Amino acid sequence: MKRNNTTSNNIYTLLLGMLALVPATVLAAPTGQALSFTCAGCHGTDGSSVGPSMPAIAGMDPEVFVDAMKAYRDDQRNPTIMNRMAKAYSDKQFKDMAWFFAGQRLHLFPQEHDAAMAARGAELHKKYCEKCHENGGRPGDAGTLAGQWMPYLEYTMDDFLNGKRKWPRKMRRKVDAAIADEGQEAVPAIIHYYGSQQ
Amino acid sequence: MTDINRRTFLRTTGGVAALGATIGFPTLALGAVRRVVVIGGGAGGATAAKYLRKLDSNISVTLIEAKPNYTSCFMSNEVLSGERTLDSITFGYDGLRRHGVEVVIDRAVGIDPVKKRVQTAGGNGFDYDACVVSPGIGFKWEAIEGYNEQVSKETIPHAWYAGPQTELLRRQIQAMPEGGRVIVVAPPNPFKCPPGPYERASQIAMYCKHHNPKAKVIILDPKFAFSKKGLYTEGWTKLYGYGTDNSMIEWIGGHEGGTVEGVDPATLTLQTEFEEVQGDVINIIPAQKAGAIAFAADLVDGDWCPVDKQTFESKRHKDIYVLGDASSAAKMPKSAYAANSQAKVAVAAIVARFQGMEPGDPTFVNTCYSVVGEDFGISVAAVYGLDAKNNMIMPIKGAGGLSPANASPEIRQREVSYAHSWFKNVINDMLE
Amino acid sequence: MPRSSALSRVTCLWVAFLSLIIMPPAYAEAEQSEGKLMIHNFDPETGKRIIPNERCLTCHGDEKQKTDVRDDGTPVKIFVHQKQIEASVHGELRCNDCHTTIERVPHRKAPHVVVGCIECHKETWEKYKDDPDGKHKRLKVVNDQVGSYMQSIHAQPSKQDQASTNATCYDCHEAHNVGELGSIQRKEKRLKNPEVCGRCHEEQLADYRTSNHGKAVLEKGDSDSAVCSDCHTTHAIDKPETDKAKLAITKNCGDCHKEAQRTYFDSYHGQVHRLGYTNTAKCHDCHGSHKIQGEDDPTSEIHANNRLENCRVCHEEANENFLTFWPHGDADDRANYPGLWIFKVFMQILIFSVMAFFWVHVVLWLYREAMDHFQGKSFAEDLDHPDVVYFRRFPVVWRWIHGLFAISTMTLILTGTTLLFSHTGWAKAVVAFLGGTEMEGIIHRTAAVFWLGIFISHLLIAISNIWRKRATFKWFGSTSMLPNMKDARDLRDMFKWFLGRGERPQFSQWTYWQKFDYWAPFWGAAVIGFSGILLFAPEKTALFLPGWMFNIATLIHAEEALLAAIFLNSVHFFNVHFRPERFPMSTTIFTGVIPIEEFKHDHHVEYERLVANGELDDYLVRRPSRRADLASSFITTVLIMSGLALLTLVLIGLMTTPS
Repeated sequence: MKRNNTTSNNIYTLLLGMLALVPATVLAAPTGQALSFTCAGCHGTDGSSVGPSMPAIAGMDPEVFVDAMKAYRDDQRNPTIMNRMAKAYSDKQFKDMAWFFAGQRLHLFPQEHDAAMAARGAELHKKYCEKCHENGGRPGDAGTLAGQWMPYLEYTMDDFLNGKRKWPRKMRRKVDAAIADEGQEAVPAIIHYYGSQQ
Repeated sequence: MTDINRRTFLRTTGGVAALGATIGFPTLALGAVRRVVVIGGGAGGATAAKYLRKLDSNISVTLIEAKPNYTSCFMSNEVLSGERTLDSITFGYDGLRRHGVEVVIDRAVGIDPVKKRVQTAGGNGFDYDACVVSPGIGFKWEAIEGYNEQVSKETIPHAWYAGPQTELLRRQIQAMPEGGRVIVVAPPNPFKCPPGPYERASQIAMYCKHHNPKAKVIILDPKFAFSKKGLYTEGWTKLYGYGTDNSMIEWIGGHEGGTVEGVDPATLTLQTEFEEVQGDVINIIPAQKAGAIAFAADLVDGDWCPVDKQTFESKRHKDIYVLGDASSAAKMPKSAYAANSQAKVAVAAIVARFQGMEPGDPTFVNTCYSVVGEDFGISVAAVYGLDAKNNMIMPIKGAGGLSPANASPEIRQREVSYAHSWFKNVINDMLE
Repeated sequence: MPRSSALSRVTCLWVAFLSLIIMPPAYAEAEQSEGKLMIHNFDPETGKRIIPNERCLTCHGDEKQKTDVRDDGTPVKIFVHQKQIEASVHGELRCNDCHTTIERVPHRKAPHVVVGCIECHKETWEKYKDDPDGKHKRLKVVNDQVGSYMQSIHAQPSKQDQASTNATCYDCHEAHNVGELGSIQRKEKRLKNPEVCGRCHEEQLADYRTSNHGKAVLEKGDSDSAVCSDCHTTHAIDKPETDKAKLAITKNCGDCHKEAQRTYFDSYHGQVHRLGYTNTAKCHDCHGSHKIQGEDDPTSEIHANNRLENCRVCHEEANENFLTFWPHGDADDRANYPGLWIFKVFMQILIFSVMAFFWVHVVLWLYREAMDHFQGKSFAEDLDHPDVVYFRRFPVVWRWIHGLFAISTMTLILTGTTLLFSHTGWAKAVVAFLGGTEMEGIIHRTAAVFWLGIFISHLLIAISNIWRKRATFKWFGSTSMLPNMKDARDLRDMFKWFLGRGERPQFSQWTYWQKFDYWAPFWGAAVIGFSGILLFAPEKTALFLPGWMFNIATLIHAEEALLAAIFLNSVHFFNVHFRPERFPMSTTIFTGVIPIEEFKHDHHVEYERLVANGELDDYLVRRPSRRADLASSFITTVLIMSGLALLTLVLIGLMTTPS
């Protein structure tokens, strides 16, 4: 096309030039991966914590993750530091992080435990816990118990039992029943069972 | 466009194709490997090396580090109290090698930003497509008269890099007479690990509580306040009698004459503004600046390296990224966690640029744990985002902050356990 | 154009193009290692959790823990029989295909049971309705039933609590146990049906338990006996006071009690009910509903001691004669109802003989006139010299009487045959058109009174005329309506003429078929009229006559009416209008006059007699005016068409009579 008017010629060139830059002008908000990488300092690379107490979050159920973060954001669950972290993020960012961690493979590390206690814990788990924490407590909609760091499990169970953290009434009933059955050793035995799993 | 002739079209197209090839779209650039040279094997550099390999195993990564092993400065205060040994905080680089990083034990002495080449003391040159510089700090010996590197190695250790000086300090504390005085001279801002000197004092006090109950730890501080001061005070009150006449720890701030101007190593006497203070053990943590290579490579402006906060690319030279303590990363503190976090942002930017894309929005986190004493841990945390307009890294409002004051003993105890977990995980994230 | 801008444009286009195709690989994700990750438990498209049924059954299939306790302490049943569900029609679905509010296991909140049966069935049917393998074709029935349910009273908001409906799908259907057609589950459900309905309808269930149906189903497990849905329908449930419900119940009784229903529909109650009238005796009016018993049980509504009360509900002054009425009288059942049977046989032989005879007459006559026409021997109008002189055959009174008679007869046929043929679609349409069964009944009875009135008036006029002229009245004269020997001879001669064996006989004033047409209504009036009067006022009738007279009256009323309807609209119409000599019509009965030539041809003997007596001129008149001609043609046409229409309807009714 012949265009004698140089102004429109230039505009045309300019528009074409902008077209070339189109891919370059799109900036993204931090990705789920970028957000999740910042957690590695405490929770381990890709969420597989090496302990001794910081919980592993790799391979976690994404809805459980979001529930946890929302609870922390509301200062629930007797937090030490996570409430301060959770307040920085939006619900969408929780979801993005949740799906990142859900896509990671959980790597477990051996923990020192008492084999006899773990064996008793296995039986107690089967009787009282397996229905919700299925597959021996493997990652699922009831959280990650199998192979989780034992001190962390102790902290959470303490918080449940002392009323510092809300728990489902069904869980309360089951734990109460397990303690009634086995005595005060019930919860530690179960924790040793989880700690023994790989 | 119809009056373009074929010759012109073909020529232009050919030119664009050639241009495209040299710009390096991945599909056109198959077989031509990207190289990144990382200077410094600490929290920033090691993390950057590992994550480069993690995100794109087509990138060739060379890590140049002077020391064959890494001794972490963070958590080294527990060596002073005897909770840990130095060995337990020393780690090798085999983990990085397993990721495919070429680890070169050498000292980088210069960077040619035009030729894109790093020069080492051992006489080797390394070409790069991008260079990551994470050298840590250097010391401004001249700030305290009478103090220099030699003195720090022999008499008055700074132990602000973990290693032999940490062990020296430990031995000095152990050898202290009953009721002896340890003086910790804190540095002015900005410096690496803001709560560090105070954790150090706490750990020394913890040791003394059991082994030398009449000893005293005095902190001489040019600053008027310090990181987590309220929490430290709470812990010291609870554990070390702070606020009483028998307090094991004393803190003298700049407004009270805590600024140290000179030292006499022979007599272990410090010169403050107003008086002379003598100690049985002195630990001077000098004023700091960026590490040597940052100066050698003309990356600094003043004491620290200015960077683009979205990518941590140096503002002075392209394709060089400065991380961690050496960079001006306000408002992030200078800490291991911060360096680890910044490394991931820089790596994401490098990988994006290699793939011909613009880097995305960065996000950062820092958590600093301090172990004040037995079953008494505290922390400060923040999540950061980029204020692009002012090129500042700003903490997200309403989030982050200190451990709660007067928290229950179980919270304090848990934070100790989490501090140790943080340590293990950050080491793992850097080096495994 | 200048080369530089051309260059820059080409460059820009290439850069844009290349970056568009190369960008996507830059977003390639890190490789996955082997084995299942947490994200594989979620649907990649919707992001929703995939909950396998086994997970639900971990708790809900545990036989050792069939109940649980809600937050507020109330117990709740949670057990689901795994095998049962898998064997059911929904066995291939996922638990949360129906329980859509369940998204987390363990549930975070006590889940509100929200199951949307209707939407899912609708959508699934939409999806599969064109499926060639027909695996899902039952869904069409399901959706029809859903449609019925949505119109029913169960789908209405409850009066006590408008937030819920009176009954919803899973109030009656055990959702986890819906059996395929022919399955044991369906059989069991059928037997449990009264107890399911009885959860709300407790009184009715208690009554039902005492009944024959109830004992058979609930005690003996006989699934052939009636359960609630057999009478009330499964989903099209209405308040029993509605017409729709009443009609449905009657229809449904008949699904099992076919004979009883058939005989009921033969009775007046049944006929009028089948037309949509519900204010008549229906099955449950006499037999009771939920407490139904056989007639030997003293508590039964149809036990001899109790039956009269039922009649008195409508027939307030009913007496014991009502008890001898046969509500299920079956005219085909010689053994049980011999009287009825005899009457039916008699009437049918009568109809058959009359119709057979006259239709043969009609066919042969048609044949003869047709043959004559082809042979050029027929009687035809001379178009060059049309008749201007007409003979007056019918005085005004006759014309009026015939006209009114015709109209009222047709009205009676129309309104009466709807009952006789209440099974047809046209009957129901006619009833609707007339404004309902009650209105139709009023019309019928009014027309009947009218008809009888005319008949009696004519009788009185005739008697008074004869009385006045009693001295000179010729009983068997030329103009007499009384049949005589000439008529017999004429009949014989006509048949001979039909068969070409003789000449056409010559007739006097009234031909034998005209005399038949005159006297037949006397028979009709007697039979239909008398039986009609009986039917008109049952309580009054019962004062004198036993109940079974009513059955017989119904029978002969209908059969005789049928005879009249068929005869008049076929034979009479042929004789008067349709035979080729007269075709398309004769308007004489309306104008009163006949062309003189035609009179000469048709009634030659009378013509000769009048000429011989010089009386002919007394009867000669001018041709009717054109307007009179048109008017009478119009009236005649209308009546012919009406008659033929009635004939058609009657024939339809006869041919579609259910066996």
